[in-house]
Amino acid sequence: MLELQILIDGFAISALYALGAVGFTLMFGVSGVLNLAHGATMVVAAVTAWVVAGQYAVNPWMAAVAGTGAGVVTAFATYFLIVRPIQRSRSVPAAEKEIFVLTGTLLWGIMIQEAVAYFYTDNPKTVRPLLAGVMQIGGVRTPINELLIAVICWSVIGLLWLLVNRSKAGKVLLAASINPRALTLLGFELSRVYLMVWLIYGVLAGVAGVLLATFLGASSAQASQLTASAFSIVVLGGLGSVSGSLLAAYIVGYLETMTAYLISPTYRTIPALVLLVLVIYVRPRGLLGRR
Amino acid sequence: MTEALRGLLKSRLFWIALCGTVVLVTLPWVVSAYVLGILTVAYYFGVFAMSWDLLFGFANEVNFGPTFLIGSGAYAAGLLNASGAPIWLCLIAGGAAALVGGVVLAVPALRLSGPYFGLTTLVAVLLLQQFIVIFASRTGGEIGLTMNDILSMDTTTNYWYALGFMAVSGLILFTLSRSAVGLILQASGQDRIGASALGFNVVKHKLAAFCISAVFSGLAGAMLVFYLGTASVGTVVDVSVGVQVIIAAVLGGRRTIVGAAIGSIFLIVAGEALRPLGQLSTFVVSGIALLVILFFVDGLMGLLLRGREET
Amino acid sequence: MPDRSTVVRQFRTALMASAGLTYLLTGPAGAQGKEPIKIGIISEESAITGAGISKGAQLAVDAINAAGGVDGRKFEIVQYDDHSSAADAVRAFQRAVSQDKVVAVIGVYISEIALALEPWAARSHTPFITTGAASNEISKHVHDDYDKNKYTFHEYLASGFIADSVCDAIKENLLPQYSIKTAVVFSEDAAWSTPLDTEYMACLPKIGVKVLDHLRFSADTGDFTPLYNKIEAQKPDVIVTGISHVGVQPTVQWAQQQVPIPMIGYSGQATSGTFWNDTNGAAAGVVTYSLAAEGAELTPKTRPFVFDYIKRFAGAPVVTAFTTHDALNVLADAIRRAGSTDADKLVTALEKTDYMGTVGRVQFYGRDSEFTHAMKYGRDYVPGIMLQWQNGKQVMLWPKAGSQIKSSFPPFTHLQRK
Repeated sequence: MLELQILIDGFAISALYALGAVGFTLMFGVSGVLNLAHGATMVVAAVTAWVVAGQYAVNPWMAAVAGTGAGVVTAFATYFLIVRPIQRSRSVPAAEKEIFVLTGTLLWGIMIQEAVAYFYTDNPKTVRPLLAGVMQIGGVRTPINELLIAVICWSVIGLLWLLVNRSKAGKVLLAASINPRALTLLGFELSRVYLMVWLIYGVLAGVAGVLLATFLGASSAQASQLTASAFSIVVLGGLGSVSGSLLAAYIVGYLETMTAYLISPTYRTIPALVLLVLVIYVRPRGLLGRR
Repeated sequence: MTEALRGLLKSRLFWIALCGTVVLVTLPWVVSAYVLGILTVAYYFGVFAMSWDLLFGFANEVNFGPTFLIGSGAYAAGLLNASGAPIWLCLIAGGAAALVGGVVLAVPALRLSGPYFGLTTLVAVLLLQQFIVIFASRTGGEIGLTMNDILSMDTTTNYWYALGFMAVSGLILFTLSRSAVGLILQASGQDRIGASALGFNVVKHKLAAFCISAVFSGLAGAMLVFYLGTASVGTVVDVSVGVQVIIAAVLGGRRTIVGAAIGSIFLIVAGEALRPLGQLSTFVVSGIALLVILFFVDGLMGLLLRGREET
Repeated sequence: MPDRSTVVRQFRTALMASAGLTYLLTGPAGAQGKEPIKIGIISEESAITGAGISKGAQLAVDAINAAGGVDGRKFEIVQYDDHSSAADAVRAFQRAVSQDKVVAVIGVYISEIALALEPWAARSHTPFITTGAASNEISKHVHDDYDKNKYTFHEYLASGFIADSVCDAIKENLLPQYSIKTAVVFSEDAAWSTPLDTEYMACLPKIGVKVLDHLRFSADTGDFTPLYNKIEAQKPDVIVTGISHVGVQPTVQWAQQQVPIPMIGYSGQATSGTFWNDTNGAAAGVVTYSLAAEGAELTPKTRPFVFDYIKRFAGAPVVTAFTTHDALNVLADAIRRAGSTDADKLVTALEKTDYMGTVGRVQFYGRDSEFTHAMKYGRDYVPGIMLQWQNGKQVMLWPKAGSQIKSSFPPFTHLQRK
């Protein structure tokens, strides 16, 4: 029965990791940006959902939509206020643009975190589960919300796959991640591509943040932990590879869950960290990375 | 040696740093004990940032976990002190421990580049943190380790120690950065292939940079905890501390060494000056740092030395 | 022989000099009668438990000043946020003492931070009253090195006493109604909870409850599912808690997963009036120790304080608001009795405190106790209370529960009634 419990819990938490990581890796793959304000974006979405639910007494679904919207707004703010100015700046040498974007988004993430804590304290915020109640699966009592989260995550990821592989816009996105210069030569405007990717990123991070609030709760104090977690998974899977991130998310999710159940929750993060270190030494481009 | 000395005397940065140091030396007669206390911490931070700048500015390696080196040095010193060793021995141990940590980190990390290197350094910090928390019975865990000895009870004496340490470290690091070794590092940082083609052993030089950075970070970390009287995860290991070090160096001006020290002093003094803002002080300081990064790319030193040629 | 003009000049100089000297010696002292007394308040503003400190202080100071202040001098608060960091708190303390010249420092609810400030109170000879930290170590240090640490006072029940309070409450209120034979102790790994757990392990068997297991989890745990799973596998009757840094997450997850075992013990965040909203109602049935609460009428001062607090801050007070409010009054009382704000005289006066506050009768243990300068625990002093969240309200179950007040646990818990 413990095995089934681990299987189910691991699945839900991995799905949540996967959603966050996919957005992060897509952002890097298409626009080369490692957005260190990722965790803060998720937290904004979570807290907005909580505020809307509390203030306007709406049902959790409306709050979720509001939260996702906030995620998109934050993503665009990050792009227009921080990333784009640095990328277009003439005083930053090209070789160092990456570092500046990293530091800039890092600072921006801290500012968001502090602002949220100022207005709402750093106490974890929770949103009522989208579907309340528990369900018995093979003798394991599981909150229905947990299963719903897994379903939602995978649906969103599925939609993303459809978008990238079946739609014209998606193909442009894919092309931009492989060879941006060729794309411009073909007449496509890179700036439109970037806008699209930031929009998609905002939705992914927003949904992940809201779901986190309904499942475990999210607080401004967790922002950097969420970023570090997404970063680790993405590197493990291979920077820029979406399927790599999915695989890595599940590996990390299950490693953590098994450790928490079988050894102790205190050592939860260690096996995943050790695995990450091994992979970096032995195969730096990650499990499925191509660059 | 005289070559280096001559190079030093010709540098504008050196004279700015010298003037600055002279001003700082006079402060104990002018400002209150409270201000001296803030500056003491700022000076140790200055050494953290200068060490980081040597690595980043010259070897072009973004170390996201300077606190791995700082924390190793600090805790090694603290643990040794807990078993009764005198302060000077603990300081040496701290520097040595950080050196070992630096080598362990550098050897594999130098084979990586870009974000992978950064991630390795970040992971190192996370592992160190877990290690400290798990062995809480020895290390004090989240509570922290109370030091048996402290450098001094007197504020002014502590100030001199910190200022002296920062000045000496700064001088060494700055001279290094301007010396042949520094130039090679810069070359390998900017154009690894070209530098190798010219016959320089890039890896050996980067490793050297790593080690130097490590020793100074560890030593500074050890001195800081002997000043504060406690070593804790929150003050010398946490990722947020590392972030502050990076911000200080970038804010001050990359590749100047001196800038890193100025950036640290600015950051810590600003944080303290904004204390009346209460909760928002971190927000405002981060905001200022962000503005500097966006608009004054060369940091405070860039502002100061406008017209200086970019290498 | 000096001529007349020189003599006049010398005389005038002497007169002015002595006038100046007199002014210097008496001037500031004379002005002191109207100068406000500055008190430093250090709190963790971004945490719910910490934010209560500054609010409680404000209410107390406003009331003290409205009544004329202390010997004609008004209290003035200098507020510091330590961002839940020991290093920040130390810097704030240093600033308070050397720059802002406060007479005493009050506040801090994180034990690690209070312990970091204790040596600084000693070094700077500044009275420091912590109104939220629980660790036994705080007062132990005062006992072990009195001359150095005598400036620190612990105005919150020390962890060991909290555990005793919980055991007493379970014994007197819950055991008569429910069949409680086994328990699992469940607390966060932090400085304050170590003595708490030790005392739980000692006092629970004494009231007939067998401790099946003792789980300590890292304070930054986010997912409590494996822990609840482990607890449930052992089938205890109750979970005895010791949590403060976490509160919302474990409670919400407990309710969502419908863990069939009630949570009783100490949940710092659950003492806050906002906890019901914070958990979207998942707090229903949670039983926690507190020092005072909205519905409690511990002393004649409790209710009016709660009323004023809700009126001013639109929300019921968290436990640290009660203790900080009392601490300001205790300090005012001590200054009056000492007739001065000199640190050593204040310490002596504080030791003799006998003040009826909002949490009970405040007195401090003396040098003969292991917990010197800790707040006295007991029916006649500060007993602590046991409250339960029911229908959005904090209901007091113990010690003076009315006969119509009944405990009520959520339907998914399987506590057996007798």
